[in-house]
Amino acid sequence: MNQANPSQPLPNSPAPVPQGDTPLRPALFARFGDLSSLRYDYPLVLVQGQGSETVLRPLSRIIDDVLRICSAPGAADEALRQQVLALEGSIRSRIEQGATGKLSDLWRESVPGLLKSAGEKQFGPMDRNLDRAREDLDLDGLLIGCNGDTPHITLSHIWKAVHDERAKVFRKTVDGFILQIADILKADYNKSDDAHKADALRGSVGSTDSGIIDFHKLSAVLGREHPEGRLPKARLRRLEWVLSILGSQRFFGPGRSSGRGLLDQAPHSHIFQSCEVALEAFRERLPEVVLLVKALSTAELEVAHKYNAELHDPIISALDESDLTAEHLRLLPPALVLLRDGKSDNADTVRAFEALASGLPIKVLVQTDDILGETTPAPSQSSFGAASARLAAMAMGLNNVFSCQVSAAHIYRVGHEIVRGMQFDGPALFSIYSGATETAPGVAPYLMAAAATESRAFPTFVYDPSGGPDWSQRFSLNCNPSVTQDWPAHSFQYEEANGNKADATLPFTFADFAITDVRNQRYCHMAGKNAAPERLIPASERIAHPDGDSAEPEPFVFAIDPENRLSKVVIDTKIVEAAENCADAWGRLQELAGINNSHVVHELARARAAWQAEHREDAPSTLERLSAPTPPADSPVAEAQPQPAAPDPAPQADVSDAPWIETLRCTTCNECTQINGVTFAYNDDMQAYIADPDGGSFRQMVEAAESCQVSIIHPGKPRNPKEPDLAQLIERAAVFD
Amino acid sequence: MTQNMSQCLLRMVEEEHVLADYQSDITPRWCVGCGDNAVLTAMQRLCRDENLAPEKTVCVSGIGCSSRLPHYMNAYGFHGVHGRALPVAEGVKIRRPDLNVFVTTGDGDCCSIGAAHWIHAVRYNMNLTMLLHDNQIYGLTKKQASPTTPIGTQSNTTPGGVYLEALNPLTVTLGIANVSFVAQAADWIPDLLYQILRKAFHHKGFSFIRVLQRCPEFMNHRFDEFVRDPSKMRILTHGNGLRLKPEVSRIYKNQETHDPSDMARARAIASLDDEIPVGVLYHDPEVPCYDDLRAGERPNTPALIKTVLNEEFDRVAIAAGDGPAQKVAE
Ligand SMILES: Cc1ncc(C[n+]2csc(CCOP(=O)(O)OP(=O)(O)O)c2C)c(N)n1
Ligand code: SF4
Ligand code: SF4
Ligand SMILES: [Mg+2]
Repeated sequence: MNQANPSQPLPNSPAPVPQGDTPLRPALFARFGDLSSLRYDYPLVLVQGQGSETVLRPLSRIIDDVLRICSAPGAADEALRQQVLALEGSIRSRIEQGATGKLSDLWRESVPGLLKSAGEKQFGPMDRNLDRAREDLDLDGLLIGCNGDTPHITLSHIWKAVHDERAKVFRKTVDGFILQIADILKADYNKSDDAHKADALRGSVGSTDSGIIDFHKLSAVLGREHPEGRLPKARLRRLEWVLSILGSQRFFGPGRSSGRGLLDQAPHSHIFQSCEVALEAFRERLPEVVLLVKALSTAELEVAHKYNAELHDPIISALDESDLTAEHLRLLPPALVLLRDGKSDNADTVRAFEALASGLPIKVLVQTDDILGETTPAPSQSSFGAASARLAAMAMGLNNVFSCQVSAAHIYRVGHEIVRGMQFDGPALFSIYSGATETAPGVAPYLMAAAATESRAFPTFVYDPSGGPDWSQRFSLNCNPSVTQDWPAHSFQYEEANGNKADATLPFTFADFAITDVRNQRYCHMAGKNAAPERLIPASERIAHPDGDSAEPEPFVFAIDPENRLSKVVIDTKIVEAAENCADAWGRLQELAGINNSHVVHELARARAAWQAEHREDAPSTLERLSAPTPPADSPVAEAQPQPAAPDPAPQADVSDAPWIETLRCTTCNECTQINGVTFAYNDDMQAYIADPDGGSFRQMVEAAESCQVSIIHPGKPRNPKEPDLAQLIERAAVFD
Repeated sequence: MTQNMSQCLLRMVEEEHVLADYQSDITPRWCVGCGDNAVLTAMQRLCRDENLAPEKTVCVSGIGCSSRLPHYMNAYGFHGVHGRALPVAEGVKIRRPDLNVFVTTGDGDCCSIGAAHWIHAVRYNMNLTMLLHDNQIYGLTKKQASPTTPIGTQSNTTPGGVYLEALNPLTVTLGIANVSFVAQAADWIPDLLYQILRKAFHHKGFSFIRVLQRCPEFMNHRFDEFVRDPSKMRILTHGNGLRLKPEVSRIYKNQETHDPSDMARARAIASLDDEIPVGVLYHDPEVPCYDDLRAGERPNTPALIKTVLNEEFDRVAIAAGDGPAQKVAE
């Protein structure tokens, strides 16, 4: 661990902190002096071509993946590992110096320099090792660092990944309809006279025809024979109309199977810099949605051969904007509005809430570069000022808005949640703090962003209305460090003035974060060198007990100067109050996440008190109730009634002397129906039954029974006692009883 | 996409079908007593009970008495070329996966001239339902021996009796790679024939049903001993297979509980000599279907075909101009 070195004697009297040029840093920053030597979430690769499954991946993890595949554990591949890690370092410093580009390109460009500094030759062992590793690189994409552009570049990238997937599904459906409708039209054309003309027939054979076929004769033959039944004109017109609408929709661009040049006009753009423009575009595009909905519904019915003009025409033609349902609006690709607090038009930024409340699938990014806000009451540069840190919480109040708050340092960790927000049917707000705060000069944006999360100034959370019916399923605070604590604590080692090593555990509070901002430095001063320890109290303790006497002792935080010298910095009421505010907001978020839920805490206390009171008065009765009452062994227990056994369906022959057929076993062989179509008939299942026992003679009955190969006809007794040869027939019938 | 709306609109024109909706204007021309009638009835009942739209149903056949079935169904039909029902059905299915495709064929049609297609159809495992009407004779051409005719049978082509042991369509099918559904039915137990057909229809993949079919014209009395003595019919039951109605169970008491995923037992049952097994011998719903594997990510529109072909041609063509090929040439 890095060490802070308070080698300078602490000043005697309270001295104002020098402003601007020697900024203060929280003591815990000491270990992050040089980011380029750390393997953290940046540079980040905006992964291409892997759908929404993998949208982001840090360079360090990609390199770890590659090493896992291409190097064997043990000493043999140690050189390769070191070389690849050196390459990672080289790419990282290029990005920090402002380079941009695809991972594969930066990899390639970094190799010559590395070889040179290692004194290695091209195609030498190191070059070969790096080449071997590159072959195991299975993803690529733009590499970005953590800076003021990161939030909107990343969000646009994720939006596009989700949009492309949506477009694929859309095109598959629409192109499928286009194909099937074109098939119907083609089948109809093939019945036409035109399709049977000699030239058309020649065309259908292709260019291999070498004169062996006389197409005029063929045309004459086929012309005589060609099938009847062309499509009605109205249906043709309807199908052509559907094709024209589906072919010219502008919500998604054409795909490979839609063919190029299908669109007369460029597809709509869905990324906006202003909520007003985005809302306006939605309104303007509604008539196109109506047309598309009509065409899609018609297409679906048409390809199923279920379009019934009489029934469906009136409904389809009457459909207008007011009939559009959420299901229809889902056809619209979600819009992405990129706002940057303090840079975008203020009035428009405030309108973000109007857009979110509209329920339309509008995804709004509000990027904030400053979450502390102005310290003076002067009119603010930004729309929300310090309230930026509450935007996402406010959006949760709209209930059906997907809301996500995260600092740039943690974007990778909530990548999947951002994807979900983009896929979510309704509006979404992404409130992202970039860390690129101008009033914290010299601090890397990544460090600012990470500190904002650590200090609870800008906690990470996600509210997903589609997650389930209750808070526990919708709300997650899990991405924050030490989520059940007020502040995360870190161990810290330093050297005392006398050279002794010392350990401390420091909470990282809002106050620690606040002192990085030059605007706050007038609200703190160095603690006097000889300040009595009992006159100072750690800021975290003061924030936890705000009602104490604020004059004594004074709250302080540990800070370092650019030389890593440690000092205690006393903070003013102004910072303490802001920190109390922050702690309070954090507590509310914790409650939403089920941590220290005040309702539960109160209810528990009440129940405990009640139990204790009862316990004292009436111990046995409580005990009695605690021991589960067991019913006496002979008490009646509800039990399933034994099912009455299903009666064995007895042959109906026993019931009467009427003729009958085991219909279930009839094979539809036509023997009996041929003998007498009145007596024997088929039921709805095309199986024979006795339709009319008096429809024919007993002789026919007996003959049918004899012809029935499955022997399921039972002739019964003769109906007409005067029929000739009865005695003999009765004898023949006996075998079928 | 506009599902709710389309479903409402579809519901307005929803039709309940009756069996007669699947009967064509042509009355079956099969001999009185022919087992083919029972198969036709079973198929029409299935269409009615599954409410299959006649215009979304196709029956494909080869040549033979059995192959006349498509004429009697009020649906699309293709009375094809001898032995070639399967390739035609496969073509229909791959281009129009939305259609319900049935294949009817005879023992001559399938096991003689069409044997190659039969083997490959099983291996392709496309989502089709096939019925092999096995009357063990060429019926349409008036009594010539087929590969399933029992040894010793006298016929117009074997006046001295068939010399060779008959081929067993069940064991053959069970031996083919990717086999996914094999069943046997007898036309004289129509309730089981119907149930088996229904199972086959619901199986996603190639379902093969051999139907033992009586031909009173040319193989009279061939199955009499089995028709008359239900104990010679071994009915295969299982929770995942057939469940017998009490009326059927009372007559067919020779029952075996057979797990259709048990291939070894299926093969043993298929080889029974003295008894005729009826039921689902083998069922594996997990075998991949060729039509799914080849379905492609995108609809096969003419535009896509053109784009892909052009891309392929560009890769190999020598371009006049400044294409990559030109650069190589320079
Ligand atoms: C290419 C060709 N060869 C031979 C024939 C003659 N032929 C017509 S039907 C048939 C056999 C039919 O037997 P099967 O498939 O068992 O049908 P069944 O009539 O028994 O139902 C034959 C050989 C033909 N029609 N076409
Ligand atoms: S003879 Fe028997 S099997 Fe044939 S139709 Fe009549 S009852 Fe059915
Ligand atoms: S000849 Fe045989 S198979 Fe053909 S219709 Fe007649 S009974 Fe049926
Ligand atoms: Mg035959």
